[in-house]
Amino acid sequence: MQIQKTLLKYLNLFGLCILAAALLGRSLQTVPAANTFTASGSNGATRGVALQASSASTLDLKLPLQDKSVRFAVIGDSGTGERAQYEVAHKMEAYQQMTKFDFVIMLGDNIYGSHSPQDFIKKFEQPYKPLLDASVKFYASLGNHDNPNDEQLYKPFNMGGERYYAFQKGDVAFFALDSNYMDPVQLNWLEKKLKNSQETWKICFFHHPLYNDGRHHGADADLRTQLLPLFQRYGVNAVFSGHEHVYQRIKPENNIYFFVLGNSGKLMTHDFRGDGERLKGFDTDQTFMLVEITSDKLFFQTIARTGETIDFGELPRNMMVKDTK
Amino acid sequence: MNPYIAPRYVLISVVSIFLFTYCGAQTQDDSAIVKDFQARVDKYMGLREKQHLLQQKRDVAGKIDDAHLTAHQGDIFTPAIAEYFKKQIETTMRGSAGEKIRTSLRHAEPLTTVGLKANTKYPNNLPLQSTPPTLLLNLPLLPKALQYRIVGSTLLLYDVHSDLIVDLIPDAIATA
Repeated sequence: MQIQKTLLKYLNLFGLCILAAALLGRSLQTVPAANTFTASGSNGATRGVALQASSASTLDLKLPLQDKSVRFAVIGDSGTGERAQYEVAHKMEAYQQMTKFDFVIMLGDNIYGSHSPQDFIKKFEQPYKPLLDASVKFYASLGNHDNPNDEQLYKPFNMGGERYYAFQKGDVAFFALDSNYMDPVQLNWLEKKLKNSQETWKICFFHHPLYNDGRHHGADADLRTQLLPLFQRYGVNAVFSGHEHVYQRIKPENNIYFFVLGNSGKLMTHDFRGDGERLKGFDTDQTFMLVEITSDKLFFQTIARTGETIDFGELPRNMMVKDTK
Repeated sequence: MNPYIAPRYVLISVVSIFLFTYCGAQTQDDSAIVKDFQARVDKYMGLREKQHLLQQKRDVAGKIDDAHLTAHQGDIFTPAIAEYFKKQIETTMRGSAGEKIRTSLRHAEPLTTVGLKANTKYPNNLPLQSTPPTLLLNLPLLPKALQYRIVGSTLLLYDVHSDLIVDLIPDAIATA
């Protein structure tokens, strides 16, 4: 009798386990997203997926997550230490678990206001702690609110003590520039680096945008005069900037894709001019970007603080954009 | 020879000689001014190095306070050097990039020039305005530790590592 009871107890427990596993399995099962993202990749069509994360919020991923791709996140004008920055960081964490992006590029204004050790904790280490704990690396560029001395030497920003620097991931070369002070020495350095770069993809990131439909700052036309000829001559594929506290995807110029993302902490609502060069603009909430680069395409997804995907698409290397939205 | 042509030749020759001499003198003056500016910058860098070493010896934490450097307004930007810089800036602003530079400066973060003094720290929490690259191409090169910075219409010589305003030229840039 006692044996029967014990057996029944274990059977019940086993049954419960099976039921729980089935439910969990169902919730983690990939299902096509409502607005399915198709891309004609080398291995056929890839599909966006909506996954049920452990936080119970639905994450709508638009990246194909291909083998050997380079994946990273983009944030700009983030370092406020305020609630919105923390909420964006929380969303980034959830997407990192899905995409396993292993680094983040920062488009300047990484730390607003004072730069005490407490500020670095409040405005960087605390909000991005889960990402830092997951060994995600951050690569910073300097904005006009940054303190070059403190930030260049701040190890988690991986600047190697320099105002501008280059690094590579897979077949992608990254150039972090200091647009606060684009002196002839930096221009010469950039030209030499671009010229010698053997990578298929070349990506530049810095604070001041070369194109910008925002009313607050506008484009830095003089910076564009100096940088654009170099970008064209040496085949830069994409440029990421911040400064204007909105998100913009600009109409490609000479086969170069320009993104402005200056609202990962700060926000300037209703900032756009009526006319302009943007293909997509968003100025009503904070955002961050996910980017995945394969041998011939750059996939991007821009996500608002609320979790809404506000822009996504695929950009063939050196070809016109195929807008999916 | 036509009697009317001879005086014309003489006049042209005289004007040419004058222009040649004047422009030559200008270039010579400018290069002497730039040389003087660079010598003053080198002197500052030497003092800075000395101060750094002294500070390292004195201060166990190695914290540098360059505010004790003996720089004063006009030490580097002497009246002649300041005039040269103003001229270079004006020429750049009148050139083909002038409008773009003005637009960039107008779009920058509005900064106050209150509290800007030579040999003092750059005001705490005042954002740095980007310096137009085309302008930088037309100014003498600086050592890595120094930068030209613009705050409103003032041109600063800024010591990056010690966050110090080494010298300044008020009303150097007409942004309007």
